[in-house]
Amino acid sequence: MSKLISIMEAASLIKDGDMVGLGGNVLHRAPMAMIRELIRQNKRYLRVVKTAGAMDIDMLCFGGCVSSVDAGFISYETEFGLAAHYRKAVEAGEVQANEHACYTVICALRAAQMGAPFMPVKGLRESDLLKVADYFKIVPDPFSGEAVTVVRALNPDAAIIHVQEADVMGNARILGPKYEDVLLSRAAEKVIITAEKIVSTTKASYNPESIDIPSFLVSAVVHVPFGSSPCSCHSLYDIDRRNIETFKNLTGRDGLTNYLAAYERKDRWGNNGRAGDIR
Amino acid sequence: MNNAQLTSGRSKQTHCRVSDIMTCVMARQIKDGETVFHGVSSHIPMVAMMLAKAIHAPNMVYLDIPGGVNPNPGKLSGYSSAGSDLFRGASSVFSLQEIFDLSMRGKLNVAFLSGIQFDFYGNVNASVIGDYRKPKVRMPGGAGSAVLIPTADKAVIWRTKHDKRTFVPKVDFVTARGNIHKIVTPLCVFGYRNGHLVLETVHPSSSLEEVKENTGFDLIYESVEYTQTPTVEELRYLMKIDPGDLRSQEYST
Repeated sequence: MSKLISIMEAASLIKDGDMVGLGGNVLHRAPMAMIRELIRQNKRYLRVVKTAGAMDIDMLCFGGCVSSVDAGFISYETEFGLAAHYRKAVEAGEVQANEHACYTVICALRAAQMGAPFMPVKGLRESDLLKVADYFKIVPDPFSGEAVTVVRALNPDAAIIHVQEADVMGNARILGPKYEDVLLSRAAEKVIITAEKIVSTTKASYNPESIDIPSFLVSAVVHVPFGSSPCSCHSLYDIDRRNIETFKNLTGRDGLTNYLAAYERKDRWGNNGRAGDIR
Repeated sequence: MNNAQLTSGRSKQTHCRVSDIMTCVMARQIKDGETVFHGVSSHIPMVAMMLAKAIHAPNMVYLDIPGGVNPNPGKLSGYSSAGSDLFRGASSVFSLQEIFDLSMRGKLNVAFLSGIQFDFYGNVNASVIGDYRKPKVRMPGGAGSAVLIPTADKAVIWRTKHDKRTFVPKVDFVTARGNIHKIVTPLCVFGYRNGHLVLETVHPSSSLEEVKENTGFDLIYESVEYTQTPTVEELRYLMKIDPGDLRSQEYST
């Protein structure tokens, strides 16, 4: 059964208040086309999860779509600097920053993957994060009695993952760095795949071992060439520097609306003119 | 060298660039055969690790966020230290999850990490200035620091600013603490002993006076030496590994 749908339909699978895990890492293979569509659809109170985010989370915060961010690091790294909208939203008290240690996001997703309520985390022992965060607890190891830190499971309602190749069923292949995406696909209730290229199901089955996300975990597939742009997508394109700079210089909600409008046609109809079309 | 000399005299080699001094100091923390990791926003450690591998640690294991083990990237990416270039020429793949697991079971030898504020007791803040819930400044966050500083054999911390707002009497928030191997700054190198920072060396481009003036807590030191300047060999390799001078990028941000 084909799960190929338009990006508008796919974004409508995300409900206000959902916990959403985002694929990729900092400026790499972030699901930017879906991020833009979520803002166009005016999503609210999303609880975003990622080990290290950048433009994706910054843009969602600019769009007023976010209520909390569970992450270890949010910045564009050194050259493009801080995530100004995320920062402003947190400082204004509009977005709750749930700081993690990257690894504790991984452990919390591992718990979700196993259907467990929490996961022990070695290493996190002396940090004020233990005092301010309700998702960390120190408990006695039931076997040795020694203190052990545990992190509460993060159970995303949806994962949005951009990949280089998928078939219409949702069998998805990631080229190059996979970051935490395979884990995220196992931890989330539903998985939305956006793909640079839709390959035939026969072709995907030639090398089943190269499929990172099996179709039975996937709820929707969207064909979006340049779906990570202006972030990078391994083996296909690097970042679009000028675009990132343009975005970073935007001011006011109108600036964002115009920026998103310039992408609308490409995001929604870039795949040969028809939503959900296969080339 | 005695402290009087450090205070008054300036080294002959003050023409050495601070970015080169810091990169070389960081490279020298790595021993041959060690497992070494750097994360995001980490161009200085990236170049330092490649320098160590080229000169004195050919068997070190280079680990990074994209997961490329011992990458051979050629041209380095200027905007990211977590991208595809660190996949190029890699001998195998070892993911970030696995790198963290490695550190948790005591097998990560060196981790390079940073922060925004540091205090005398070796507390590292990469989270917030002001209150955690309603911060005056929300910073990017500690990334792996809170779990890697306690578990890596050697947590090497660098910061490209050294002033009284960076080295403070008390950090606003403790993202991570303890088990610091070194803190490398544009002025000096701190060690960490008996629960507090100890000034170990002062860069030849600076002076003990300058370190004192720019540190918000009293300095503890026994015999302070000048930091060893980059050797001709190190500088030659730096030119080759990092012709685009990415190691200097962080000083302007």
